[in-house]
Amino acid sequence: MGPLIPNGVIPPEWNFVIAILIGIVFGFSLEASGFSSSRKIAGVFYGYDFAVLKVFFTAALVAMIGVYYMDYLELVNVEELFVLPTYTWSAIVGGIFMGFGFVVAGFCPGTTLCAAAIGKIDAMATMVGIFIGIFMFSELYDFIEPLFDSSYLGRITITDSLNISPYWFIFLFAILAVITFYVVDVIRKRVKKVFY
Amino acid sequence: MSKTYKVKKVIVKTEYKVLAALLIILAGGLVLLPKYEKNSGIKPEIFLKNVISTERYVTTDLIADKIIKQDPNLLLIDVRKKEDYDSFSLPNAVNIPLAEVLSSDSEAYLNQDAFDVVLFSNDQCYADQAWKLCNRLGYKHLYVLKGGLNEWFSTIINPKEPKVTDSELAFKQYNFRKAAAMYFGVGNATTTTKVKPKKVIKLTKKKKKVAEGGC
Amino acid sequence: MNKLSKIKKNSHIYWNPYFGGLMLGLVILFTFYVTGRGPGASGAFKSTIVTVVDDIAPTHAENNAYYNRFIKKGDSPMNTWLVYEALGLLIGGFLSGALSGRLKLYVQHSPKITSKKRLIVAVIGGIAFGLGAQLARGCTSGAGLSGMAVLSLGGFITVLSIFGSGYAFAYFFRKNWI
Repeated sequence: MGPLIPNGVIPPEWNFVIAILIGIVFGFSLEASGFSSSRKIAGVFYGYDFAVLKVFFTAALVAMIGVYYMDYLELVNVEELFVLPTYTWSAIVGGIFMGFGFVVAGFCPGTTLCAAAIGKIDAMATMVGIFIGIFMFSELYDFIEPLFDSSYLGRITITDSLNISPYWFIFLFAILAVITFYVVDVIRKRVKKVFY
Repeated sequence: MSKTYKVKKVIVKTEYKVLAALLIILAGGLVLLPKYEKNSGIKPEIFLKNVISTERYVTTDLIADKIIKQDPNLLLIDVRKKEDYDSFSLPNAVNIPLAEVLSSDSEAYLNQDAFDVVLFSNDQCYADQAWKLCNRLGYKHLYVLKGGLNEWFSTIINPKEPKVTDSELAFKQYNFRKAAAMYFGVGNATTTTKVKPKKVIKLTKKKKKVAEGGC
Repeated sequence: MNKLSKIKKNSHIYWNPYFGGLMLGLVILFTFYVTGRGPGASGAFKSTIVTVVDDIAPTHAENNAYYNRFIKKGDSPMNTWLVYEALGLLIGGFLSGALSGRLKLYVQHSPKITSKKRLIVAVIGGIAFGLGAQLARGCTSGAGLSGMAVLSLGGFITVLSIFGSGYAFAYFFRKNWI
C-alpha cells in the first residue's frame, strides 16, 4: 500500500502540503528537543550534554524499527523506499567536513533553520555560511567531481555489505544504543557542568 | 520530595529501564517474528484488473508500421518453440520459448525500461500466457500481438481487398497493408525471413523505480 | 507579569531527549510511509543557491555541470519537496520557540568569546557544513537520519564520519564552547 504518494493512494497535489506539515512537526520536535541552542548541541562533543546523541540515535532506532515492522505488515515495501546511494569516499570526506562544521558552528542545516526561526543571530550566520559552502562546492564542482562520483556502490544497505539479516542488525543496534545511552550518562556525571 | 528526587538521581531511573527494555523487546520482536516468503509481484486485485484490460493488445498494422520505420524502441519476442522460430519469425525477433520465460537470461529482455516489448506466438494464446506471467512479476512495457502470427498473415501478408462500399479508411488501411506486404516480401511468406538477433544490452538488475530523494 | 517571569524561567526546559527522539523517529517513519523517502534539510539550501545563481547568471548556471542537474525547464528549482519541508521546519521551530518563550533576537555564545568571534566561527562552520553536505549528498538529517532509517550504508558511513571528525576536531575548538 505505502509509500502512499508514489503509489497513488494520495494524489500528488497533496505532496507539498504534506511536505509543509511534516516540516512543521520536524521543526517543532527539533526545537523542543533543544536543538535551537548551539551550546546544547556542542555539548555532545565536550561531554556536558548528550541530548544530540540521545535524540539522534533514538530517532534513527524508532524509524528503523518502524520501517521494518511496516515492511513486515506489508504497509510499505522496504525495496521501494529511497535509499541514499553509497559513494564511499565522498561520504567519508563529506562527513569529515560536516563534523568540522558541526563542532565549529554548533549547528547542522536542520537545526540552524530552527534556531534562526526563533531569532538566534549565530544561526543566521551559519545559514549564510552554508549558502557560501554550497556555492563554493558548485563552482568547484569540476574539480571535486572525480571524488564526488568515485567509489559508487549503488543502492546498498549496511546489512547487504555485512551480509547479515536486517532484523538482527536492528536488534544489535538497539542494544548498542541502550549501552551507549547508559555510558554517556555516566560520562556526563564526571564532566564539569557547563551552564548555558 | 527532595528525598525521592535524590534517590532517583543516584540510580538509573526505573522509567528508563522500562523504556530500554521496551526498545530492545521491540527490536528483538523483529528477529523473532515468524518469517514468511513475501508475495513477490503485484497484488491479485491489480493483476486481475490488468488481465481484464485489453490495453496490452497491439494490432498487426501498428507493429508492421513500427518494423518498417525501424522503431528503435521496439523489441519483438517470439514465445514459440525454437523449431518454429527457426522456420519463420518476424524480422529481428528474439526467441524466448514460453517454457523459458522465467529463466534469468530472459529477464534481461523482459524486465527492462528501454524497449516496448511485443510478445507474439501463432495465435495469441502463448503470448498471452507469457504476458500474464511477466505482468504478475511486475514487469512493465509488455504488449501482446493481437491475433499473433495468424493475424499477421491474414492482414499484412495477404490483406483482403476491401469492397467498393467500404469506407475510405478501409482503403487506406489496405494500401498500407499492401505496401507493407511488399516490404516483407509478398509470396515469400513461407520462406525464412533472415533473422538477426537484436542486440540487447543486458541491463543490470534494476530495482523498482523509487522516489527521487536526497538533500 | 508573574506569568511572564515564569515562562522566562522555564525557557531552558526542553523535552526529554528520548521523547524528542521518539517524535523525530515517528516523523521520519511517517515521511517514508507517505512519500517513500526521508526528510532532509540541506536540499532546500541547495535549491536556493541554484535559484539565485540561475536568476543572476543563467548562462553560467547552464554551463556548470552541478547547477545544471537541478535546473528544470519551465519550473523553478525552488518548487521541490525539500524546500516546502524546510519552510515547514522554520514554522515548526518558530511555533515551538514561541510556545516555550524562547523567541529572542540575540547571538548565543559562550561567555569566553565575543559575539563577533561567535559569528565568524558560525560562518566558517557553515561553509564547511555546506561543502560537506553536498559532497556526502545529504546532511545529518537527509543522509544521517533518513539514511540510517533504511539502513543505507552511505548513511552509516556519513554519520560515523561526522561524529568521528567532530570528536577529533573538538579539542581544537574547546575554547569556543567551554
